[in-house]
Amino acid sequence: MKSKKRDALGLILLTVVLALFFVLDLLSGSVAISLSQSISTLFHPSSADPSIASILFQFRIPKALTALFAGAALSVAGLQMQTIFRNPIAGPDILGISSGASLGVALFVLSAGWIFKGSLLFSVAGSWGIVLAAWLGAGCMMLLIILLASRLRDLMTVLILGILISSAILAFVSVLQYFSSESSLKSFIVWTMGSLGSTTRDQLWVLIPSVLAGLLVAMLSAKFLDAFLLGENYARSMGMNLRLAYLLTFASTSVLAGSITAFCGPIGFVGIIVPHLARKFFHTSLHGRLIPVTMLLGGVVMLVGDLVSQLPGYETTLPINSVTSMLGIPIVIWIIVQNKKLGSL
Amino acid sequence: MREDVFIACSDLSIGYPERSTVATVVKSGLTLRALKGEMVALIGGNGVGKSTLLKTIAGFQPPLSGEILIHHRPSSSYSSAELAKELSFVSTEMVRVPNLSVSELVGLGRFPYTNWLGQLNEIDKEFITNAICQVGLSGYEKRKVGKISDGERQRAMVARALAQDTPILVLDEPTAFLDISNKYEIVGILHKLAVEQGKCILFSTHDLNTALSIADRIWLMLDDRVVEGIPEELVSNGSLEALFPNNQHLYFDKEKGDFRIRKEKKGKVYLNASGKELIKATKALDRIGFEVITKEAVPNASLSVGPMASQTMSHPAVTSDFQLKEIYAVQHEKRWILSYSGIMIEIDSLEALCRELKGIMHQRES
Repeated sequence: MKSKKRDALGLILLTVVLALFFVLDLLSGSVAISLSQSISTLFHPSSADPSIASILFQFRIPKALTALFAGAALSVAGLQMQTIFRNPIAGPDILGISSGASLGVALFVLSAGWIFKGSLLFSVAGSWGIVLAAWLGAGCMMLLIILLASRLRDLMTVLILGILISSAILAFVSVLQYFSSESSLKSFIVWTMGSLGSTTRDQLWVLIPSVLAGLLVAMLSAKFLDAFLLGENYARSMGMNLRLAYLLTFASTSVLAGSITAFCGPIGFVGIIVPHLARKFFHTSLHGRLIPVTMLLGGVVMLVGDLVSQLPGYETTLPINSVTSMLGIPIVIWIIVQNKKLGSL
Repeated sequence: MREDVFIACSDLSIGYPERSTVATVVKSGLTLRALKGEMVALIGGNGVGKSTLLKTIAGFQPPLSGEILIHHRPSSSYSSAELAKELSFVSTEMVRVPNLSVSELVGLGRFPYTNWLGQLNEIDKEFITNAICQVGLSGYEKRKVGKISDGERQRAMVARALAQDTPILVLDEPTAFLDISNKYEIVGILHKLAVEQGKCILFSTHDLNTALSIADRIWLMLDDRVVEGIPEELVSNGSLEALFPNNQHLYFDKEKGDFRIRKEKKGKVYLNASGKELIKATKALDRIGFEVITKEAVPNASLSVGPMASQTMSHPAVTSDFQLKEIYAVQHEKRWILSYSGIMIEIDSLEALCRELKGIMHQRES
């Protein structure tokens, strides 16, 4: 079939582009490292300049990998949510998963700062503590959403409740911030700005497997997601096990979005935009084809975001959440304007 | 021979279970059947529970009490995967997935048969091609669902149900958004499926005319009961008249088998015309509120010896049995002669005749 060939070609092209941006991301940063330098460092780490090796292995590779997996994870999570909720602007941030994570982190950072008062224990436990707290927060929020979804049949209501609950949570987080000390407030604010560079190599050992597991579950539920395109009633009339389908997609979404929010902080709009770009470029809505494309495209978008955030020529790095929001909001507006007449899944 | 009953509802109650002990019962005591090769039309006013009944039969919501038998087996004993091979569903909502092509959409109907990845094998592809062909969409396979007309999209939805390869098709108002041409296209396709493939097709509709002229069986949902039977039976036993009992603007025309707008007759016109002109004039006068009495109905057929006979424009009152206060309209080639209250005028079109009659009515009322 022609379209299959074209699909394969598109996927290969996308992979090449992804590799290109990955390398570009490794090369860019405040310290200039040339391509030949980095290649020799990668293949002969022992004979290379130790400072360059350390920059590459300790910072740039983990950061580029984080960007790659964060992009893929958030995009696929967004795709699943848009299909399940049949809403073109659904995404991890809209359903309150990010705000659930925020609450976890806020509770941890602000209360831990109070309890330990800057003791040594806090700084050691800090990075993992934030991750665990975010995970718990996202997971609780996801459980709440699943509970609501099983009680209320109408998914639109669930979506609206998700938005309401996340507003309530953010309000509560503001109250927490108001009563917290300056130093813990700062570490919370830094977390909310999002960062791809703060993931350590040890953390990657947790991040990458969880993302892979989430993506695998998403791939396994591709057929269910296809049936959901026509709505819940059609899905059911075709003999779909609704409970299983919801369980799989919600589990996958919360693992994907929860992990990334935990390690990198909230990163907005990637999850909303990338699925649309994937549908636009590959002219399909079937998830067996859409999920791989979304994954690769998500990686590309996040790497581009990271490159932009480094402001070539400047020493400082912009917070990634601001970059994705600034780049993303115009695209979301474009999506909404385009969809005036038709929903677009 | 045992009847091939595909759907049988016995003493069924449908509605929405509430969390408290009180359930919202939409309808109870339903006893209905649908047979192999039958087209069954579900008729009823808005909000009477048609969709609820279809959803209950399709297994989306459990019955409050009673039983639905699908192929002589209680539907509650089917797993959802099993039921998906017996019954397919087309809902009334418009599907809005613009990036899906027609063949992809129809391919979704193979869901109960494909593996966990949803891959289509040769048999699946054959079913898809056949289904698309049966609804007359061959050549549209690659077109996107967002870029075809409403009628074509609805046909694609029927094709999706066909690809599901089920003996029973349940359709909730399949013609709701369609113009007349597309409406008959869909109904024609469904009828062919019932006749040629022996499928049992249950559909709800507001189009009484179509239902009465094409359905083998009618399920008529009234406010207080549900009546089942062949269309002619329901027309003659007066069940259909109960469809809108409290509506003063409608009455059921048994001969035409349709509801008509009730108009207070303002007066009567003796009409003498023939052929097409007679049919046209009868309809037009009925529309503007006159009772029409055609030539045959006039005592002594006196109109036939009216002004036409002599070709002189003499006053029709000269013939016997004419009464001055009545209105007479006589066709003369393309023209009309109108006679009332001793006045006789010549009118050159049906439109002008109607206008004139309205004027007379207005005069008499004031």
